[in-house]
This record gives sequence, C-alpha cells and structure tokens, in this order.
Amino acid sequence: MQSAELIHLKKLVDAVHPLKPEEWEAFAAIWQPVQYKRKTMLTAAGEVERHLYFVLEGVQRAFYIDEKHPEATVVFTYPYSFSGIVDSFLTRKPSKYFLETLTASNMLRTSYQQVQQLMDQYHNFERWVRLSTSHALMGVIERQIELTCYSAEEKFKTLLHRSPHVLQLIPHKYLASYLGIDPSTFSKLMASVRL
Amino acid sequence: MKRIDSHQLLEKLQSDTREIILAATYLLQYDPAVLTQSPAPGKWSVAQVIEHLNSYGRYYLPAIQSAIEKNAHAHASFFKPGWLGDYFTRSMLPGKNGQVANKMQSPKDHRPSAAIDSKPAIDEFLLQQQQLLDLLEKARQTSLSKIRIPISLSWFIKLKLGDTFRFLIAHHQRHFLQIKNTLQQVKEGGPEKLKPSFT
Repeated sequence: MQSAELIHLKKLVDAVHPLKPEEWEAFAAIWQPVQYKRKTMLTAAGEVERHLYFVLEGVQRAFYIDEKHPEATVVFTYPYSFSGIVDSFLTRKPSKYFLETLTASNMLRTSYQQVQQLMDQYHNFERWVRLSTSHALMGVIERQIELTCYSAEEKFKTLLHRSPHVLQLIPHKYLASYLGIDPSTFSKLMASVRL
Repeated sequence: MKRIDSHQLLEKLQSDTREIILAATYLLQYDPAVLTQSPAPGKWSVAQVIEHLNSYGRYYLPAIQSAIEKNAHAHASFFKPGWLGDYFTRSMLPGKNGQVANKMQSPKDHRPSAAIDSKPAIDEFLLQQQQLLDLLEKARQTSLSKIRIPISLSWFIKLKLGDTFRFLIAHHQRHFLQIKNTLQQVKEGGPEKLKPSFT
C-alpha cells in the first residue's frame, strides 16, 4: 500500500490512542484501496454493513428515508476520516439508513471480519476501537443537543464555525437537510453572512 | 466478448441494486390508490410492475441460491459474458437517452393480476432485493462463468451466473423507468396531490 495514504490513517489513529508498532503494522495491513464514481450507493437500508472506510478523497453522505418521512441527511464524511454505517458495522444489525458517495471517492476499505480478528488478537487495539467509538458517541450527542435546542441560525453558525469547508464541498440542499432546516431558510442564512 | 473484472462487476451490480432499493422505498410514500391505478387502458399499474418483477425473483433467487450452494468451482477473477446473456442484458437496458428503446411483450406466466395490492408487493420486492445483495456477495467466492442458471422460460437454455445477475438487474432498471413514467401519467390524470418524492 502507498505509504502516503497510511500516514493520514496513522495520524488519525494516534490522535485517539497510539498503537504499538506491531499493532499498527497489523492494522495497516487490513486495508485495500477502492475507488467509486459519484453517486455510488455503498450501503442500503436493510443491509448489515460489511465495511469500514477511510476517506482519502471525495464526500459521502448517509441519509434516512422511510414510508412516512422525506429524506433526511444523517451525516457527511470526507478526508481524512472514517466512513461506513458504523452502528451497523459494530452491532451487526441491519442498517436503518443509506450511504452514498456525493463525489468521486478514493478510499481505503476493510471488513468487519478483519477488524474483529485484530480486536481478538490485541487488547490494546480493542481499547483503540472503544475510545474511537466513545469519541464518535460524544460527537453524536453534541449534534443531538444542537438539533434539539438550537435555532436555525445557531445551527447554521455552528456549522460555519466548525466546518466552513463543507459550504464549498456539499450541495446546500443536503446541508440544510443535515441541520434540519428549510432549504429557503438556509439560503437566507447564507446570504446574511459575508464569506 | 471482453473480459470483465468479477469484483468490479459485482460491486457495480450491488450498487445498482441499492439504487433500486432506494427507489422502491420512495414508492412506499405514495398513496396506494396511485400505485394501483392503471395509467391507460391495458397498461400496468406500479403495483403490477412490481409484482411482475417479484414473479421473476421468485424463480431466479432460489435458482441462484441453490446453484451457488452446490457450487464446486473455484473463485475466478474474470468473467466473460456469453453472447446470449449479453444480448439479453442489452435488450433490457434503457437506451442512451435514458428511455426504454424497445417495447416487449411479457411472457404470460409473468403477467400480474390487476388486483395486486401495492404494499405487500413492495415489501416482498424489498426482501428479494436484500436476498439479491446477499447472493451478489456470496458470488464473490465462485466463478461467474462456470455456474449456469436455466432461464425462467426454458430449462434447457442456461445463462452464466454473471449474465443472469446482469440480466435480472437490467430488468429491474428497465421497469423502474417504466414506474417513473407511470407515476407521471397517473399524477397528471389523477386527483391526488403528491409530494415530489423522486429527487
């Protein structure tokens, strides 16, 4: 595997909990490069997620839809972060939502079996998984609070402050859906800030 | 015939199937009265189209499943479409303009009754698509060329497994285009105000 790609992965790993050289080598060895065109459906609702991805290029979107509710964006992923339907990946329960690429995507991919094997083999790796999951949980609850308590304007400003780059990367209708605000409200908020 | 990378083909077919699952999920948002309405005399309602697809799934999915389970062939990295399988697939696929190019008459075993209910038909279809995704995953361990599946109309004509998948999924895509057109026609003529679900 190209070492430049793995450097990004290692940075992300170490930021959570450093692995011993042997553990890192074993972890680095389970990834394979994959390329997808834009608007490729990676996982459908009802499937058990088989893969964990590490994003090198491109933007992906997870979204929910059912028979009574319009489509809602759950989360975006972009470089350099993990992607995949992580709750289904970890619990082995069918996913409740879809995952697609919004733009052409260049990623590394591994399987549940391979991650599971490393967790069985290295206690410290399992600890890394636990800590990563804890961080993800923190993020989810933070977002939960914002969705419940914040006004449209506050949600917009928080997004602008935390991830300003997404305004260029992601179509605004999806950003509006992610924040749970009306697309026209989103446009007005966009017009109100000078970028 | 050109060789195709087996994994790339299966990934593409899985992604196409997931698109179909999304489109079928959107259908559940429509009023059942719209989904069971014929767009013109002699034309199928959306529910009938789905039932037509289900009737193929009921034959092909178990046939593929048992062929994969019995399979003694080693994994093959490449797949070469057969001429007949390639012809069938091409004749199913929509044209370059995204429209169905050639009209076809469905075989009589696959003509659904007009009394089909939309919700059970779509639920069955969604279940079948999950089975199909599962079979596409299992097919990674086998040879897409050496396993052969008899076509539904004639047990003595067999297509390569890879071609059976391509044909079956192209057939879904063809009919989902029909569904899109049917919904447009029914909406224009029908009294119901519908939310624009296809985005």
